[in-house]
Formats: sequence, C-alpha cells, structure tokens
Amino acid sequence: MEGKYSTDPEWASVTPIDLDDGSSSGAMPLATIAYPAEYLEATSYLRAVMAANEMSERALSLTKDVISMNPAHYTVWIYRAKILFALDKDLNEELNWLNDVSLKYLKNYQIWHHRQVLLSSKAHFPTFPPKEADFLMEMFAQDSKNYHVWTYRHWLVRHFRLWDQPRELEDVEFLLKADVRNNSAWNHRYMLRFGPRDTSLPDAGMVNAGDLSTAPTEKGRLSIVDEDLIDGELKFAQEAILRAPENRSPWWYARGVLRAAGRGLAEWEGFVSGFVSEGAVKSSHAVEWLADVFAERAGKEAEAVRMLTMLKEEFDPIRKNYWDYRIRKLDQAVA
Amino acid sequence: MLLGYLTLSGLDVLGVLQSKTTPEERQGYIDWLYHCQVPSGGFRGFPGTDFGPGKRNKDNEAWDPANVPATFFALVNLLILGDDLSRVKRRECLEWLPKVQRADGSFGELVGPEGSVGGPRDLRYCCCAAGIRYVLRGRSETGLEGVPDIDVLGFISFIEACQTYDGGMAESPFCESHSGHTYCAIGSLDFLRRTCNDLKPVPLLSAGSNQFEALITWLASRQTAQLEEPDEDEDEEQREVTDTGSIDNRVRGLPNVQPIGADTISCAGFNGRCNKYADTCYSFWNGATLMMLDQYSVVDEVRNRRYLLEKTQHLVGGFGKGPGDPPDLLHSYFGMVSLAFQGEVGLSPVDPTMGSSERTVRHLESLPWWQS
Ligand SMILES: [Zn+2]
Repeated sequence: MEGKYSTDPEWASVTPIDLDDGSSSGAMPLATIAYPAEYLEATSYLRAVMAANEMSERALSLTKDVISMNPAHYTVWIYRAKILFALDKDLNEELNWLNDVSLKYLKNYQIWHHRQVLLSSKAHFPTFPPKEADFLMEMFAQDSKNYHVWTYRHWLVRHFRLWDQPRELEDVEFLLKADVRNNSAWNHRYMLRFGPRDTSLPDAGMVNAGDLSTAPTEKGRLSIVDEDLIDGELKFAQEAILRAPENRSPWWYARGVLRAAGRGLAEWEGFVSGFVSEGAVKSSHAVEWLADVFAERAGKEAEAVRMLTMLKEEFDPIRKNYWDYRIRKLDQAVA
Repeated sequence: MLLGYLTLSGLDVLGVLQSKTTPEERQGYIDWLYHCQVPSGGFRGFPGTDFGPGKRNKDNEAWDPANVPATFFALVNLLILGDDLSRVKRRECLEWLPKVQRADGSFGELVGPEGSVGGPRDLRYCCCAAGIRYVLRGRSETGLEGVPDIDVLGFISFIEACQTYDGGMAESPFCESHSGHTYCAIGSLDFLRRTCNDLKPVPLLSAGSNQFEALITWLASRQTAQLEEPDEDEDEEQREVTDTGSIDNRVRGLPNVQPIGADTISCAGFNGRCNKYADTCYSFWNGATLMMLDQYSVVDEVRNRRYLLEKTQHLVGGFGKGPGDPPDLLHSYFGMVSLAFQGEVGLSPVDPTMGSSERTVRHLESLPWWQS
C-alpha cells in the first residue's frame, strides 16, 4: 500500500510491523474496530520504532501523528515522554502543543497525565511556570467542573507548594462568583485550606493517610488548628449560603471545616435555627443540619425525628427511604 | 477490552449469550483474549502494542506492557464465556501485580520504562487490581508458593484517605468526591473481604461508623430530579447579597422554600457529583455501591426505573446518557444493570462488584484451584 510513511525516504530504512489481531490463527477480535488506512500504517511504523526502542526526531513526530488520530492510545504517550527527555526537547513547546490538544479532547485523561509527567521534571521546571494557571482558567471557561483539570491542578499545588499563592484562591473565588454551586471549586478551596503540606511523602494525600497507627476517626483532622482561619472559612460559607440557601456545597464545606477543626455541628445551631421556624423554612439543608445536631444530643431524639419527618414529607420526597432509614436508626438508639 | 466486556456481559445479563453466539464464535473470542495476554503475565488493552513473536526484549517491553484495567476485563470476559482460565499465566500475573503498586498503597495502570509505575494515581486501577487479585488468587495458595502478595494494609489505607469531607470518595486524596471513584473504592474493599477472612474490620464497610454513615448519606444525596440543564431564565438565581444588617435579619429576609408534593416528581435519576445533572450510568455506579454496602433500600426504585425507562431509554432501544441523547454501549449496559438490581423481569441477577452476572461469579468460585 502506498502511504505517507512507505513513500517517505526518511522511513525507508524501517520495516513496519503489521497489526496481528490474532484472526490469522482463528481468533475472533471482540469489538472489531474499523481503523482507517492512515492509522493502520502509522501504527505499523510505531510498533517498529518501539520494538527498536528508537529515540529519534522521526519517532517523535510519528507519535504526534498517532496521537492526533487516537489520543486514547495509552503507550504512545509514555513513549513520547521518554523521547522528549532523551532528546532534551524544549518542553515549553510541548506544553503549547498540549494546550491545543487539551482544548480539542476535553474528556481525555492521558493528556493531563502526560502534562504532569513533564512538569514533574525538576530539571526543566524548578519553579511553577505561571502560564499554567492562565491555561487552566482557559480550560475552566470550557467546563468549570472538568475533573481531570481539577485533579491536575491539585497535583500542581502539592508539587510546587502553591497553597498560599494568592492566584489559587483568587481563581477559586472567581469561579465561585460565577457559579456558587461549582462543587469542584469548593473542593479545591478545602484542599488549599486543609490539605496536608508535608511533602516528605511526595504524594500522600490526607493527613496521616499512610500512617497505620492513626485511628481512622483521627484521619483528616488537623493537629494544629488556626482558629482565625477556621472562623474566616465559616464566614465565607455563610455568605455563600445566603446567596443560594438550597446549594448543598457550602453546607457540606462548613461541615468539613468544623470537622478539620475538631469543632462540632452544634456551633452553628444559632445560625441554622434562623432558617427553620414553624411554617417558614429557608433551606432544607438547615433542617438536615438541625436533625444531625439533635440526633447527637441526649433527650433531643424526638426533635431530630421531627426534622427528618419534615424533610421526608415536605422538602425531599425523593429521599423518603433515606429519611426513614435515619428515623429507624434513631428509634433503635432510643429503644 | 472494555467494549468487549460491555457487549458480552450485556448479552449475558439478557440471558441470550448462548443463543446469539455460536460455540465457534465463543471459542474464537476466548482465543482472541488469550492472544492479548502478555508473555510476562497480564493482558494488553488491544493487540496493537504487540511487536510479534521473538521481538520482545528488556529494552522494549515497556512499550508493550500488561495493563491493569485490561487484565481485569479480560479475566471477566473469559469467565463470562465459560472459560476455566487454565491458559492464564496465573503465577506471572500475580507476580506482576505488586510491581504496579506504589509505596503509598495506590495502583498505577502499568509498569513503564525502568520499572516505574505508570499512569495516574486513580482508584479505578485500585479496583481492577483488587479484582485481578480476587479472581486469580482465590481462597487458596495452591501453586502460589513464593508469590508475593500486594501490600494489603497500605492499599486499604490509601482508599480510606480518598474519603472527602462530604462523605464520598475521590480519585485520590483531597480530590472531589465522585460516584465512579466511590464505586471503585468500595469495590476494592469488597474484593478484598471476599477472600481475606482475617481482614480487620474496615470502618468504610462497617454500618454505624462515621465513615460508613457519611458515605450512605452522600450516596443517597446523588439521587436527583434535575435531569438536564434548565433554560437560562428558569435557573434558580444566585441572590445578590446585601451584607448590611445582622446575619439573623438577612436570614429572615430570605424567601421560604416551597414544600414539594411527592406526586409532582415522577422521575429521579442519579448524578455523579454534587450539583451535577443526572446521567444514566450513575444509576449503576451509585446503586452498585449501595448494593455492596447492603443499603440499596435507601434508593427510590420507582422513580429511578421511570427515569431510565421513560427518560433515557431510546426509541430504537438502548439507553443514552440523558434525555434525548443517542444510545451508546456504555449507558445501555449500565442502565440495564441498574434495572437488574431492582429485579426487572427478563434480566439475570448481577454481582455489583464484578459488574457481571452472578452466574459468572458462581462459575469462578467453582473452579477447583480457586476454592482450595
Ligand atoms: Zn454516564
């Protein structure tokens, strides 16, 4: 077959390796994919250079060609990264190309992992390249909840120690101003505020994660609490709740803040009670909060049941079975 | 490998695998799956990385690696087809598994150049790795003398660290809680407890613990009547906050939430994250997790069934992601399995952890080397 590679003198020395899908020996491919001829040709040359473990310019441009046809090919990215480092290529140029590919394939995770592999190189990126934050905001303009992008941003924060970089919090607040229900942005804020900063274990996550001697109930709780910071975060959550009282994100953010500080839900009893009075409920999440406060307080079980019944009968009928589950647990506790 | 799984398992759950395929075809598929086995153990995702006989060596084997999800789905596919796994390089595969585990207990996707662990730090790989271990290690050590196990305690510790402040589980510690990853977290632990009798109780699996109850709350909260993006002007507005006056006064000034009549909501699907819209496949990811935790009863089954059958099922058959979306293989399979969990007539019972029929699991657990 006459193809782009078979007619190119640069590739004349390479013998392509055809795809062996097993059918010649009687096997039947599950899910047969009709690959276009250009893809079949390019990948036959890819197998040949991979088999020779070739680190060359022509192999590098071949990987780009294959990726443009199938970005989900999982070894071509690893091979490409190896060549980039072996040939000491300009990684900023690679990042520029990746920006375009990322905007084209929004759901592909290999692209983001590749980016992470490049940025991991301390030799090339001893400090945080500030253009990264601009590009991520460009990605969030397409989809402000893109999971791969947030996961990558999380990694950047840990790798370059960006917790207190003003830009991180500014971007989170910009996104929350645009959409106060963006749970990804709320989560990022939580990580900035309470994520572990000990990088001696380079990628361990939650406080005490890898420590088997820590009781599971203690995991995630801060050992040193900055009470002013906690108060500031609780205030921030309150303001967001006032903007959209039925938005679940800030209510759960506040629960997480109190837990990290080792402070209980009862601390918000006064604030939350303002949302719930006879015949006037301002947020169903406030009703749930009060139910949880009363459930923990001896002698208040009946009040908790009253709150849960209100949710079940008036504000959240879809979760009737769940509220019944909660009511049953309280009944068992009392009995 | 995944497409093959969705097709084969789909036919199996419908109970028509034997009638819609011939014995020769099934044998051909089995041979193809073994064709994807890597000489050093484990399976590739597709034959496209194979250089052919005699060309594999230490320098190039990183470019034709065994892949963790592909290996798990290859094994499940073989079991669905009734194969006894006798051609699986069981010992080699189990020796490879610890090499894909990182020091923090998590799993990668493959072994890359110079023995590095490649791929993101992601609970999907953890779940598939635990599945491989469950299928190939079984309840017996016969034939596995000297084969090192994975670091089970480190593995559990990593999974526990993925629980977020709102009770769900994230891809890695401190990322956002997500139903797909939550399924993988609980699936990993469930695979472990199926074969390890001496496992210490894990709070995430223990009813009554804070971790368990927070997870149930989070899972139940995923069921939603928000099925698609509302028109711009219908969106509940974000109030402009006037931060004058006391907090109490400002709260008092908020509008009341109107009670919702139970008869006004006919359908409710599931989302995968807080404040997202429903999507067919999340009826599976959330529902299967609740099945593993033995709390499926918190689901509103009637509204979930109506959501699937009346909203995302397509006229030509199959399910799309959301209302009006064209059907695809993935959403068709997971929509159907969600109905199977609820006892829909005509569907075989499905094992939530394996994601395939209970028949498949019985077949595995009856294999002589698996039991003792
Ligand atoms: Zn989906």
